[in-house]
Formats: sequence, structure tokens, C-alpha cells
Amino acid sequence: MPSLSEKSGHGRLLILDTGVIRELVLFHAVQEFGFERLRRELRFIKEREFYEKCGRFVALFQRKTTSASVVAELYHWIRQTDPTGQKKIWNRVYEEFRATGMDEEVVRLVDMDINLVAEFGPVDVSLIELARLHFADTPLVLTTDKPLHGKCKQAGLGVSHIQEIAGLVH
Amino acid sequence: MSSNITKAPPPLRSRRVESWVYTILNPLIESLRRETGLLRKGNLSWRWYSRKCEYLRPIVEYVDDFHQPNLEDFLADNLNQGFKEDFESHDRALDKVESNASRFFDGLMQSGIFPEQVKSSLKEYESRGDAMLQYPSLDSMKQDLPKYVAEYLINRTDVLPHHYVAHQFWKEFRREFERSEDDFDGYQQRASFRALKESAASLEDLSGKLLRKLEEHRLFLCGTYDVPAAPTDSNMSSSSDAFLK
Repeated sequence: MPSLSEKSGHGRLLILDTGVIRELVLFHAVQEFGFERLRRELRFIKEREFYEKCGRFVALFQRKTTSASVVAELYHWIRQTDPTGQKKIWNRVYEEFRATGMDEEVVRLVDMDINLVAEFGPVDVSLIELARLHFADTPLVLTTDKPLHGKCKQAGLGVSHIQEIAGLVH
Repeated sequence: MSSNITKAPPPLRSRRVESWVYTILNPLIESLRRETGLLRKGNLSWRWYSRKCEYLRPIVEYVDDFHQPNLEDFLADNLNQGFKEDFESHDRALDKVESNASRFFDGLMQSGIFPEQVKSSLKEYESRGDAMLQYPSLDSMKQDLPKYVAEYLINRTDVLPHHYVAHQFWKEFRREFERSEDDFDGYQQRASFRALKESAASLEDLSGKLLRKLEEHRLFLCGTYDVPAAPTDSNMSSSSDAFLK
């Protein structure tokens, strides 16, 4: 399992889950573009200081990736919002992917462990599979999801909950 | 569309007036507050790939699609005289900002000097950053880097978020590109930059005036027709932000 120092930046690959991307996108929309109403949607990144810490943490990794299942989950979130504003949110998501150089990988359902899919759902399992696939790159999964965090730990994969970043980056 | 449809004024607590306040005035006031805030910072939210200002939009786009008939009704009633012209002036000013931003952008791209300067800055950045995480690779945006730099200049981008791959590049080289910000003469873009600055100032002025006029009109309608400025019962949608309910 990666050590704390590895977690703090010597890993080469960061795997981001839906919640983290959502928080980064929302906070930027609030802070930079004045969409104050979105502030109440934020669950973890509520202050600029923490946003910057998260940004510095993400920047420590040479590559960032996520799964196509995460993009589908972002779609589920966005389609629950006001239809008039959905394109604006997609614009933000596109901007976030472009600006962070985010990669996106497909993990086929049939390549996932059916027991894990039944327990955690295909999105979380796709991230676990990505971490296994890229094991040589000392990947770290960054998540807002406690069950995924626990499963990654149990499987010996590098994982951080977004709340841990406060203690990892100064 | 006729602008003299209604002769008699609406009654007290009129549902029509309520709908103007909740579905037209409130979203416009909120959007124009955001718009003037961005313009004050110099952030046009202009994007090179769409050639549009992402968050400065024509008035009609600030109103929910579902409520467009209310906008038409609002503009047709004598009680709201003058707003049609104000909205058109706003949209013309925005159009000018977008076309001037495009002209400035095209001028930079075609100047020859500018793409060369970006190339040389990138080379220097890469030489500083050998194997250092502090200098992440810009490979993913290398080809479009001059376009991004021009966009940052147009939007007066101060700092990029830390996790954006261009964060460190912009932090270290921003000054190089802003050196001639006053006139961009070095890139032969003095005139196009001035035109952009002037059109942005004009839009800021118009947006500010329109915002104040809308705020005053809301106060007038609420006071005259005894309607609250925001819905107080669950029958009316409380959405006044086209981004998210």
C-alpha cells in the first residue's frame, strides 16, 4: 500500500471519482463565476482554502484519470438539475476535464467482478478496476465515498477520502 | 408584436405581475448581478473554442425556456415600457464584446510574434521543469496553448486553479504576455485591444444601468400591486437561477 509520502504526491496517477469532480466543478462555479446558489450543493469543499488544498493535492500527480462510468454518473447528477442550466454545468465539466488534462477510460462490465458490482455498483468497481489495471503507476483513488474508500483499503489499493487532504497538504 | 395590448392596469395581487417578478425580473436581476460582477473583475468568460462569453449572455438566455411566454407578455405591456429597447441595447453591446474579443484573438494568432512568444515561453517552462512535478507537462494542451494564453489575456485571468495543468505556466509567464497589456502594440493589436476594452466598459455600464432599472421596477411592481418579491407559497417555482434549481 502506498505510504503517506506517496499519497502526498509521489504517485504518478490519480483516479478521481464522481463526488470529487462534482465538488471541484461546483466550487469553481461559485467562486469564479458567482453562482452563489450552488454553494448549498457543496458537501466537502466549502472554503477557498480547502479548494486550494485539493487543487494542490491533485496537481501533485502527473496523470489524472477517471472512468466512463463516472461520466455517466455525472450525467445522472446533471439531469436532475434545471434543464435550462444543464448545458452550463456540462460546460464546466468539459472545462474541468480539459484544463486538468483528465483522461477517461472504459472498464467493461463483463470485466468487472460480479460480486463487487452487486455490492458496490459498477461505478465504484470501475474505479477499483482502473487502480488494479494501473498498479505499476502507484495509483491513488480520490473519493468522497466511504464504502469505496473502505473497499480500496481492503484490496490494498491506494486511496484517500477528500477529507483527508486537509491533513496531507499544507 | 404589438406593444399596446393592455389598456387597464392589472389588479392588486395580479398573477400576471407575480409571474413577471418571479420568472423575468428575479432571474434577470440575479444574472445581471453576476454579469456586472464578472465585468468589474474584467472576466469576460470568453472561450476560444466557442467564441462566446460563457456567462455573459443575451437577455433572452437568462430567462428559463418555459417562461419565455411571460417574457413576451412582460415586453408587450405598457407598464414595462422601455425594457425591450434596453434589452436590445444590452444584447448589441454583448455582441460587440464577443466580436471584438474574436478580432483581438484572431489578431494575436495571426501576428506571428505572439505564437512564437508562447512557443519560446513553453520551451523555457519545459527546461525549468525537467522531471519536476511542480512543472506538469503541457502536452495535452501544447497545440492550443497560444489560444489558451490569448483567452487568459482576454479574460484577464489572474490565477488558474492549482490542479489545472497550465497553473504553473501561467503563474510564471503571465507577466511576459501582459507586459504590453496597455496597448498590445508589440503584437500590432493596439486597436483591437482598445476596441475590446471599450466595448467591455460599455457593456459594464449598460448592464449596471439595466440592473438598477430592473431592481427599481421590481420595487415599483411589488409595492404597487402588493406582491412579494419572491414566492411565498409552494405553487410558484422558486427557481431564479438557470444554472441549478
